Amino acid sequence: MTKKIIYALLFSTITMMALEVGDTIPKNIQEELKMDNNKTYILDFFASWCKSCKKELPLVSEIYNDKVVEIIGVNVDKKQEDGEKFVKNLALHFPVYYDSEKTMVKTFDPMGFPAMYYVKDGKVLHIIFGAVDEIDKQITEDMKEIK
Amino acid sequence: MIKLTAITIIALSMMGCSIVKEVKPWEKETLARPIMQFGSIHPEMTKFESHTYFSKEASRGGSGVAGGGCGCN
Repeated sequence: MTKKIIYALLFSTITMMALEVGDTIPKNIQEELKMDNNKTYILDFFASWCKSCKKELPLVSEIYNDKVVEIIGVNVDKKQEDGEKFVKNLALHFPVYYDSEKTMVKTFDPMGFPAMYYVKDGKVLHIIFGAVDEIDKQITEDMKEIK
Repeated sequence: MIKLTAITIIALSMMGCSIVKEVKPWEKETLARPIMQFGSIHPEMTKFESHTYFSKEASRGGSGVAGGGCGCN
């Protein structure tokens, strides 16, 4: 009886774990983001209020235009309009999922913004947290290694 | 029975330690606003104050960092 109570209390405090390298993205999330299993993707989590994201995103868009890799942006602004305005102002060309309900970001649970997840066959291959100088060059290098 | 009650009370009180909720990076929208920076009520006012300080003291800086709030780096 004592053991049962202790286990029940312990399990009641466990929260959902963040997605890490090697983890598989849940099927429903893959479907929601319309991900194809044969392609390599970069999921880029950003917000309009994130200064580092604003600096980095135009370079990410260039990478997408050059067809180096498929990119899906995930905007986490509270108001979708703010995200849409931000995307329009920066003239981002890659598809953006507006996660105002925060379901997507809660699943991935990144420890900082911007957050980039390299995904292949539904599996997380690599993660970058925070802004990186010359991210376009970094992605190009990483993609050479992945392919 | 006393032992069981004691264990339950200890376990429940330890659960109370986890009440403080961490602010996740995507919840820092309000914290990232310029108005949330240390200093004056408004960023323009901070600029004005730092200008006055520089004119009087012939020195500047050491008043914090700009921007941030997204939890990165």
